[in-house]
Amino acid sequence: VTDALAMLGGGFAHVFAGGAAFHALWAVLIGIVIGALPGLTATMGVALLTTLTFGMGPNVAMMVLVCVYVGAIYGGSRSAILLNIPGTPASAASTLDGYPLARRGLAGRAMGISTAGSWLGTLFGAMILALFAPTFGEFALQFGSYEMFWVALFGIIIAGSLSGGDALKGYIAGFLGLFVATIGQEANHAYPRFAFGNGDLAGGLGLLPVLVGVFGVAEVLSSMRGPAVKAVSSKIDSVIPRISDITKYWRTIFRSGALGTFIGAMPGLGEDIAAWTSYAAAKRASKERDEFGKGSVEGLMAAETGESACVPGAIIPVLTLAVPGSAPAAVLMAAMMIHGLNPGPMLAITTPEFIYQIVAMLIVADVVKLFYGLVLVKPLLWILLIPRARLMPVVFVLCTVGAFAITSRLFDIWVMLGAGLVGFILRELRFPMAPLVLGIVLGDLLDKNLLRGLVLSGGDLTPFFTRPISMALCALTLAAAMWSIPGVGRLFRRRPAAAG
Amino acid sequence: VGEKAPASPRADLLTAAVLFVLGIAIVAHAFQMPRFVEQSGTGLTAPGIVPGFHGTMIALLSAVLGLRAIRRGGIAARGPATQGGGDGRRLALAAALGVLYAGVLVGRLPFWLASALFVFAFTTAFEWHDDPRRRSRRVAEAAAIGLGTGLLVTLVFEKLFLLRLP
Repeated sequence: VTDALAMLGGGFAHVFAGGAAFHALWAVLIGIVIGALPGLTATMGVALLTTLTFGMGPNVAMMVLVCVYVGAIYGGSRSAILLNIPGTPASAASTLDGYPLARRGLAGRAMGISTAGSWLGTLFGAMILALFAPTFGEFALQFGSYEMFWVALFGIIIAGSLSGGDALKGYIAGFLGLFVATIGQEANHAYPRFAFGNGDLAGGLGLLPVLVGVFGVAEVLSSMRGPAVKAVSSKIDSVIPRISDITKYWRTIFRSGALGTFIGAMPGLGEDIAAWTSYAAAKRASKERDEFGKGSVEGLMAAETGESACVPGAIIPVLTLAVPGSAPAAVLMAAMMIHGLNPGPMLAITTPEFIYQIVAMLIVADVVKLFYGLVLVKPLLWILLIPRARLMPVVFVLCTVGAFAITSRLFDIWVMLGAGLVGFILRELRFPMAPLVLGIVLGDLLDKNLLRGLVLSGGDLTPFFTRPISMALCALTLAAAMWSIPGVGRLFRRRPAAAG
Repeated sequence: VGEKAPASPRADLLTAAVLFVLGIAIVAHAFQMPRFVEQSGTGLTAPGIVPGFHGTMIALLSAVLGLRAIRRGGIAARGPATQGGGDGRRLALAAALGVLYAGVLVGRLPFWLASALFVFAFTTAFEWHDDPRRRSRRVAEAAAIGLGTGLLVTLVFEKLFLLRLP
């Protein structure tokens, strides 16, 4: 414990000494604004800001991106409460009770609950990250190629099973993502796969252009297609959180914090699932069950705590396994790689202090978020009213810059456009995006480890199933896949899950 | 709660057919890739193994999706009425302007000019049918936003963050 505290102190010193903490002031603000604006999500925010960080040192870059991530997940609740439209998918559960509260003239109180819940959630998650990530990281050192193959496959299956309602489409999206990752030269023989003689394709599809396309361009198209956002009430009561709301619902806060962090740590699930699960659990345990959906303080608190606790949770597998826990964490992981930080099991040996630096960054971002949550009320209201016909073309320009900047290839802009159009069509056909992103990010990990495993075993498949950890991961993967088959899941469920 | 309506069985069936063909095409292409047996001795590092696996899974899963769509009436049922024409027009306009900007203008015009033109055209087109009495004011505002975006993005990214722009 003393070592951990010393490392955490070192993490804070690193964050403040390098001047990174200063960047939290603007980065959290940008994150909140991105999150609050319907159509701009946390994933898109982290992807676009990654471009801005190319010229920064790794420390400052990570600070900026962590702040944008933390800010955006919180910012989404503003539009959920005031417009009844989740600013990010993570805030969908917050509309259920946040908007009814606002309609009763309690928009300020709802924002206060959201601020308190979100602040405590991220703090809780950051503590869990500090406590468990190093231990888990050391455990992950036992993972060889066989195990890492299963980790990647488990990520795709669990994300497919749980992230979008239709598991089958989730799996297909995951394998499409894995396929996209195979385009270009492979590692062993530098053979250009699916390049068809094109030099640009032989270089592979850049992760960032694809992600900017899937999350930026596709979202611009989606939001221009739907009906315009309705105006909100501009009269707001006090946004200072009530201590009684926190003390009365401390059990809900702890439960949602734990659930949110756990779901964050599961590959690919993300903040929206964390919020829905926390909300459903709070509803089941609540004495005020009837209030849920009509303006329940407890319901809003649960959703907000859960989604914000998920942020540090989603970073746990990034740091320990190089497997992202959510879509924004996937982009964050890509940014870590761009900046030469190598997340994964070796981190516990090479730079164990990095885990605590991330914890310090999360806590600094959380405090800045609390500050803005309390003071930034009216300006955010104005921002929410920017017409999308004026905002979206600017976002599109930023997407184009983001796709181009990393390698300065016009080809990447075409990749962004293609990924955006395909992503939009897949969304319209109700394919979840989280498994797709996870597939793209984990493709390389799966590819290398499967081939390395086969070479090590001389073509023998048995180590994939007989090594103890491999066996456990294989069983988990199969169980996750079986669970989604209609009929099998019902055998084990006592009653249908009530997700609000 | 919070979920959109599922896609129609007809749409699922068509998607499944397209994805099935894609899966088979991936497998076929992966099968034709060189195996590098001489270099590796075993052929276990053949570049086609992993994409072949992914292609097989895509084909299998889309076959299941197709069968499920047929069971749900995908062959007999017509899809639900298509979304209102306004939605489709807005979508087509946004996509066309986006492709025109990123695919044609960027790289041919200076970036600030291409961006200014795009933002101006986009905003003006989508606000054209709003209150006609204030149209000239909106067009002027769109021009200002376009010019502001073009110049500010160029300034911030190129001068402040030292990034190369297209």
